Amino acid sequence: MGGAGSVLIQRPRVLLRGGEWLRARTAQWMRRRQGPDQLPVRLARRRLYIVPTRAGLAFAVLLFLMLLAGLNYGNSLALLLTFVLVGFALVVMQQCHRNLLGTELLAVSAPPVFAGTCGKVQLTLGSGGGGARLQLTAALPHSPQKPLDVPPDGAQRLELPLPAPTRGLVRLERLRLATAHPFGLFRAWTWVHTPIEMLVYPQPRGSLPMPAQPGVRHGAQAASAAGTDEWAGLRPFRDGDSPRHVDWKAYAREAPLLVKEYTQGAAELRDFDFARLPLADSEARLSQLARWVVDAEAHGERYGLTLPGVRLAAGHGPEHRHRCLAALALFGTAQAR
Amino acid sequence: MSAAAPAAPAALPGLIWTCAAFTGGVLLHVDRLPLWASGAALVIVAWRLATARRGGWYPGVIARALLALALVALVVARYHTLNGLAAGTTLLLLMAALKLLETRSARDEGVMLGVALFLLLAACLDREALVRAPLYAGEAWLCCAALAVIAAPGLGGGAALKLAGRALLLSLPLAVALFLFFPRLAGAFWAIPQGEQAVTGLSDSMSPGSILALIASYEPAFRVKFTAALPPSAERYWRGPVLHDFDGQTWRAGAVFRTREPLTYLGTAYRYEVALEPSHRRWWLALDTPLASPDAHVLLTYDYQLLAEERVNQPVTYEVVSYTHTGTSLPLDPAARHEDTALPPGANPRTRALAQSLRARAADDADFVHAVLEHLAHGGFVYSLTPERLGANAVDEFLFDTREGFCGHYASAFVTLMRGAGVPARVVTGYLGGEWNPIGRYFVVRQSDAHAWAEVWLAGRGWTRVDPTAVVAPERLRRGILDLMPGALSTPAWLLHRSPWLTQLLQRWDAANNWWSERVVKFDYAAQLELLGRLGIRTPDASYLGWGFMLALCGWLAIIAWHIGRQTRRGALDPLARAYLSLCRKLARAGAAREAHQGPLSFAAAVSARRPDLHQPVHSLLARYAQLRYGRPAPASRARDIGEFRRAVARLHVRRAAPR
Repeated sequence: MGGAGSVLIQRPRVLLRGGEWLRARTAQWMRRRQGPDQLPVRLARRRLYIVPTRAGLAFAVLLFLMLLAGLNYGNSLALLLTFVLVGFALVVMQQCHRNLLGTELLAVSAPPVFAGTCGKVQLTLGSGGGGARLQLTAALPHSPQKPLDVPPDGAQRLELPLPAPTRGLVRLERLRLATAHPFGLFRAWTWVHTPIEMLVYPQPRGSLPMPAQPGVRHGAQAASAAGTDEWAGLRPFRDGDSPRHVDWKAYAREAPLLVKEYTQGAAELRDFDFARLPLADSEARLSQLARWVVDAEAHGERYGLTLPGVRLAAGHGPEHRHRCLAALALFGTAQAR
Repeated sequence: MSAAAPAAPAALPGLIWTCAAFTGGVLLHVDRLPLWASGAALVIVAWRLATARRGGWYPGVIARALLALALVALVVARYHTLNGLAAGTTLLLLMAALKLLETRSARDEGVMLGVALFLLLAACLDREALVRAPLYAGEAWLCCAALAVIAAPGLGGGAALKLAGRALLLSLPLAVALFLFFPRLAGAFWAIPQGEQAVTGLSDSMSPGSILALIASYEPAFRVKFTAALPPSAERYWRGPVLHDFDGQTWRAGAVFRTREPLTYLGTAYRYEVALEPSHRRWWLALDTPLASPDAHVLLTYDYQLLAEERVNQPVTYEVVSYTHTGTSLPLDPAARHEDTALPPGANPRTRALAQSLRARAADDADFVHAVLEHLAHGGFVYSLTPERLGANAVDEFLFDTREGFCGHYASAFVTLMRGAGVPARVVTGYLGGEWNPIGRYFVVRQSDAHAWAEVWLAGRGWTRVDPTAVVAPERLRRGILDLMPGALSTPAWLLHRSPWLTQLLQRWDAANNWWSERVVKFDYAAQLELLGRLGIRTPDASYLGWGFMLALCGWLAIIAWHIGRQTRRGALDPLARAYLSLCRKLARAGAAREAHQGPLSFAAAVSARRPDLHQPVHSLLARYAQLRYGRPAPASRARDIGEFRRAVARLHVRRAAPR
């Protein structure tokens, strides 16, 4: 951890208040106890925790008072009422536990975003072959929760907001799945220790003109605008490819997922070099480079990127754009390749 | 009480359900509490709901505080205390209604639900009748459903009721086990204040009208179960207050304490159990004449009343032995003789004159009693529940002018005649008869069986029961007063009494009430120990109760966990999937388990490869499944096709693979 890029919320020990310190210790203990998780995760009995909620504690106090009154008055009906409600609370506890038990966390992903925006973590929860899972909440540390229902024998996707203030890699170690359904008297929860990584590109900023590379031209600029890209061939699908370029017809013939590649013969070739930028601050340089990468990609130009220690050959397309922006995002951080 | 912490904003369904639960709690008390209190609470509920829909004015903090103070003052003015069940309930109800005006969050709604449950508890403490049990159950159900809606505002009303109903039904076995085994207290932690309560039953005074008020009531006074012999109907006199002092109008119990003289008990001993309804009086009723007191806190007085230290505010059951015939050879104590021959000076002169003339003609006291009864039998006396009003010399007017009346008049006149001739006599009030309930095999004695008779001191025999009403209306002894005087009762009760079918229904209902009262309402520590004894524990004590309670709890938890787990697993699968899984299990037992990645057709291929002998039946079944599951739907015959598939799977018999 550490470095400019990591925003895992990990304040120094002295700043932690007692409650938070306890919570952190509990989390550590759970982590040791449960070990790492491999997706898809099915929530097993050993890892579910359940405690009464605030309402549940108040209900317990109420039941105790009712018991005292019933015993004191020697009133059988009051005692019977109290015992029915005690049984009710215990049934509710079982139902709450059961609502979470066997639920599956099928997939977790966090698409890259630009710094200064709000990213999102996408989760897919499955009912795990059981009945409907109602009112589940998934929460990242310090994020709001929104309950969702998973249909029986189905799956449900949800997105959790994850702020991305600075560039780098946001890495979350764990994810909390919880439910207070039904009646809200108990809360069953578990931690899933699956690392969630969200790449945060530098914020595209800066107004320097793009450096031109007049020597390496292929054809006229106007042709690019007309969109006469030449078909170059097929290659296997890789994450980040645009679905518009997938060869769906081939896929329908049970071929593997292939992507059509084009060469933009008419495009310009540019080289963006960190070292040649007339800016003092390295973050400002990275932002300017990000601006250029985004613009060049939008204009359909070919571009390469040179950072100290990193050299990306000229290219084009969503995947190339991602490689360049990722290099910018991780520049100077521990995760830099 | 605005919370500092931001609470989740309440949704409208939660508020509506909270209001419904609270209203239910108020309605449980509506006939016991002052009308203005329940009225105010209901108006506030309506107001809150109306403003929640359309928006509107709410009283501010100061207005609410003033309103709260005013309501507390009203409650104090009405009850002169804030302690006690009635005053406490009224206060809780009003303060909760005010709280409703500032209910904003789900947390506030939870508080209101707690109040609703407390109102339900107070209702249970107040009245435990069987007829109210469904109301209590309904209110508990409503509260739990409201809890579900507050926790998940998106939940529909029907779904919430279903959820709560299921949880409550599942909780019943544990509730019964806890009810049986949770150790009760023998006493109370703190004193229970007794509020004002409507008093029914016999009292320590008798004027003609007081008995009449009882006769119009069809309420059960007590129930009696005889262990062996039943006394004949003419002997079923249930002894209550004995009255000695007469002021010419009203008979009153004397405030004298005397030592009880020994008595010779004659004839059959009747052993029986009385289940007395709360009368808010101190008398425990028993068959005339009880042998001994059934309880350390109940005194058998010198005139053979069973007088408890405490008023009977809870139903109570006790066992008594009685003899219907007694005798004594001892002389009457002079002070007692003086008390029981006293008459108000100057009152009823004609009665005295009649008494003295009849006594002069009689050979002895017994002959005199006979003569007086003859006079009543042949003097043109009529049994009537609507006699004329009597003036100052009530007995004179009754005996010589109106000549109509009921048991109170006859007992009073008879005792006055006896005393007029110097024969010691006293009035005994109680009940006569009782209705046999063939379902529960017990007698139910109602308030309408209230009766008054006389006792005369005869030398050599002691106090002897004489029922002057019996000579005027002999039918009264054999049949209930209702047969004799159908008009005595209100019309619906009379109709109930006349229709055999309704009578039987009524008897069943009474038997159910009796069961409820005996087995549920009166279930206490002693009953728990008795239960342990019946379970085979020699020396029952509280520790066994603890064990029973823990065992029941653990067993129930295990069963519930299994049951809920099964429901969750099974709930997801349709019949087709269940049949498919059953087929897969059969094949797995036969050594051809389906891999997780195999669909029905690839599984069929795998089975055929491993067990060629199974190819024929299994392949066609799996292909059929694939077609039913993924093929073109045929809605018309789908259910039948699935049924056929299921039966085919059930018929399939797969032999285990031969060991190699």
